[in-house]
Amino acid sequence: MTDTQMDRSGRSFSRRKFLAATGAVGAAAIAGCTENTGNGGNERVVVTGSSTVFPVSDRLAEEFMEQNDGISVTTDSTGTGGGFNNNFCPGDSDINGASRPIKDAEVQDCSDSGVDPIEFQVGKDAVTMAVHNDSPIDCVTYDELAQIWSEGGAETWSDVNSDWPDEEIVRFGPPSTSGTFDWFNTNVIGDAGSHVTQYEKTENDNELVQGISSTQNAIGYFGYAYYRENQDALKALEIRETEDDECTAPSIDAAQSGAYPMARPLYIYVNKEALQQDAVYDFVEFYINQSSTDVISDVGYVPVSEEQAQSNLDKLESEAN
Amino acid sequence: MATDQQTGTWYGTGEAVSRVRGQAFKTLCLSATLLALLSVFVLLLYVANDAFQPLSADTGWLLVTIGTVVVPSLAAVGYYYTRDTRAGETATIALGLPIVSLLLTGGVFITFEHVVSVYQWLSILVSLAVAGGIVYAHSRVRTEADLERLVVVVAVPALALWFIPKLILSLPMLPTQSIALLGSFVVPVAVVVGLFVRRQRENDRDGVIAAVLTLVGAAAGFGVAPVVGITPFVWMLLVTVTAVPVSLYVESVIRRGAGVSGLAFPLIVVGGIVASAVLTDTLGFAGPTPWLDWGFLTNVPSRTPEDAGFYPPLVGSVMMLLIIIISAFPVGVGAALYLEEYAPQRGRWGRLVDLIEVNIGNLAGVPSVVYGVLGLALFIRAGGLGSGTALVGGFTVGLLILPIVIISSQEAISAVPDSMRQASYGMGATKWQTTRNVVLPEALPGIMTGNILAMGRAIGETAPLLIIGAPAVVRIAPNSFTNKFSAMPRQIYTWSGEIDAAFRHGVLAAGVVTLLVVLLLMNGAAILIRNKYQRRE
Repeated sequence: MTDTQMDRSGRSFSRRKFLAATGAVGAAAIAGCTENTGNGGNERVVVTGSSTVFPVSDRLAEEFMEQNDGISVTTDSTGTGGGFNNNFCPGDSDINGASRPIKDAEVQDCSDSGVDPIEFQVGKDAVTMAVHNDSPIDCVTYDELAQIWSEGGAETWSDVNSDWPDEEIVRFGPPSTSGTFDWFNTNVIGDAGSHVTQYEKTENDNELVQGISSTQNAIGYFGYAYYRENQDALKALEIRETEDDECTAPSIDAAQSGAYPMARPLYIYVNKEALQQDAVYDFVEFYINQSSTDVISDVGYVPVSEEQAQSNLDKLESEAN
Repeated sequence: MATDQQTGTWYGTGEAVSRVRGQAFKTLCLSATLLALLSVFVLLLYVANDAFQPLSADTGWLLVTIGTVVVPSLAAVGYYYTRDTRAGETATIALGLPIVSLLLTGGVFITFEHVVSVYQWLSILVSLAVAGGIVYAHSRVRTEADLERLVVVVAVPALALWFIPKLILSLPMLPTQSIALLGSFVVPVAVVVGLFVRRQRENDRDGVIAAVLTLVGAAAGFGVAPVVGITPFVWMLLVTVTAVPVSLYVESVIRRGAGVSGLAFPLIVVGGIVASAVLTDTLGFAGPTPWLDWGFLTNVPSRTPEDAGFYPPLVGSVMMLLIIIISAFPVGVGAALYLEEYAPQRGRWGRLVDLIEVNIGNLAGVPSVVYGVLGLALFIRAGGLGSGTALVGGFTVGLLILPIVIISSQEAISAVPDSMRQASYGMGATKWQTTRNVVLPEALPGIMTGNILAMGRAIGETAPLLIIGAPAVVRIAPNSFTNKFSAMPRQIYTWSGEIDAAFRHGVLAAGVVTLLVVLLLMNGAAILIRNKYQRRE
């Protein structure tokens, strides 16, 4: 106990000296004046965005901060769309994680406020369609999924396939601010239908897992990392795009090889202007370097290839200048 | 007569039904109470079990601990309860006070470490002293100029706070921070202690002795602290914030001579803990591996559950509370004073005031998430303050508790008997003098109680913080009000969404227990202040 304290005050001494130097401004602020103290001495990087990318960003932030003393990287999980609309485009955050490519409307929104997003792919995720452990269903096609998840589609399981139980479908999924929602809506349901609006929605993927594992006729989808951590509690459906394809279970390997159809790229978007700050540039560089390593697969996603990481680095360098 | 029509019997006698009905209602109420208490208790037990994991310890460890700590404590409690209630009261305070003071010491440490550096504090004190001197001199030289004095009273401190700290902090040589702390913190505390003891004992010499003892005890840190392995800085804080209140309390108990045996209780508890530690160590029993330990309180959040800590959110919560104290409380108490003392009671304006008061009551019930959106629109989008900073968090949550502050302060002020006001007027005092000298001092304990309870509400608010963009994870404790910050409930919410189950069960529970302890202590302080106030009447 005393060791920690010694440590702390020893470390903080230089900081306090620094504060003493810049203290005039701080004291003025305490005196009730509205002078802006800027960043207060810390270099900072603000990361927001997809809850799917959050575990990667958070882990890399921790490792980055261990190597770079004094840089504060804060991470937040706001959902892809939520992050673009509320944080990234208004200029409040430097980096936004995304589990789908940025939309045109969002690019427009960003450029209206002078933010120029640069895209880097940092991994791949296998979107996992999970059901209750006792469910008799093992494999579904895109067509069946579209029936289950479209507005005005199936109400009971037997509506989709007569072999399945005559029970009402209980749906759990991410809200419409989520990139997972957008990806699923665009790529699986497609232009033909629209995503059902009446379902249990939450940005907290643990609640999805909890809900599906405790509801007999439930189905829901979320990132693979959350399934991998809860393999005993849930059953992941094997997926095939059409009747003629092979049924494939979600896994990092299957997503990497392309055998698993519901694999989607994960991105980070960086504010071009923010790259002029050394802290942001260094963190993005670190992020890209790590995106081809085991760090990504430890979290539960597919790393990008060495070549892709290299081309990302080239892109970073050219954009920053 | 009326009773004749009732044929001389009481209504209800002979009707067993009415008694059954009454009994049934009583039982129903009792079971409602029990259900409420039991469900809260079970929840707390569940969380505490997750946070401390007592069952992960060896059976031997548990037995030894029960034998040395739990049994003697329970025996002492039983003794106090049945034989000596006065000592029981002493025992409660004697155990609680050191814990509260230790936590307060932590709070002061965090404040000096991250919010106001010792040098800033010193310079603020110096400027206030200079300003006070000028104001005093002015009142001596120009005794008649009331309006001019008002200007001086407002302007001089503001100017002093503006210029003097800059001057001091730009000095090339400053004393070491321990010496600065001695001068700027220990000396004022010693003076206050001296004055307090002098008033208590009505004896000048005792006051001087107490002040000197405090000063010497703190200054001893320069020699003793390195020997026991802490810095003089921490030693001085421990002496002034922990040791001083505890010894003052012990002294007052001994002086009054009532319930002195209660002072033994903390010794029994601490002695039991030490004995248990020594015994289990020699016998080789492994203790539990709790999630909530010293490391949890001093580490930063991490992806590894075992390393995860709570320090930056703790600092963030302290900073947010400071902002609330200096922004929402003066505004709220001021509004309450106006509404109670000055606002028109009758006529058209009186009805308008009534309407405003009703709406303040309604505002207290507006969901916190709405205040979050308000804070986002007002302070971040319109006001241009950075998103997710302690400043914005404090302002937003301050807005949220403002109605509560106003209402509770209003109640405290209206509880001051009108006869006291009339007596003051009768002696020729003006409205302002009455408010300042009679109403405010009398209402202050009630206002304090209400404000502390409001702070308890503020420290647990999560939704507004989510909306104003307080980040999920902050790994460097903020050292400025314009840095991104995280607060305790915000961090707990983050842990609830982690993939790894160890976060959701162990680390989260430790965070919840920490937050609950802080909350309980704050509410306990509010109750203590209220009781003291009631007893005086």
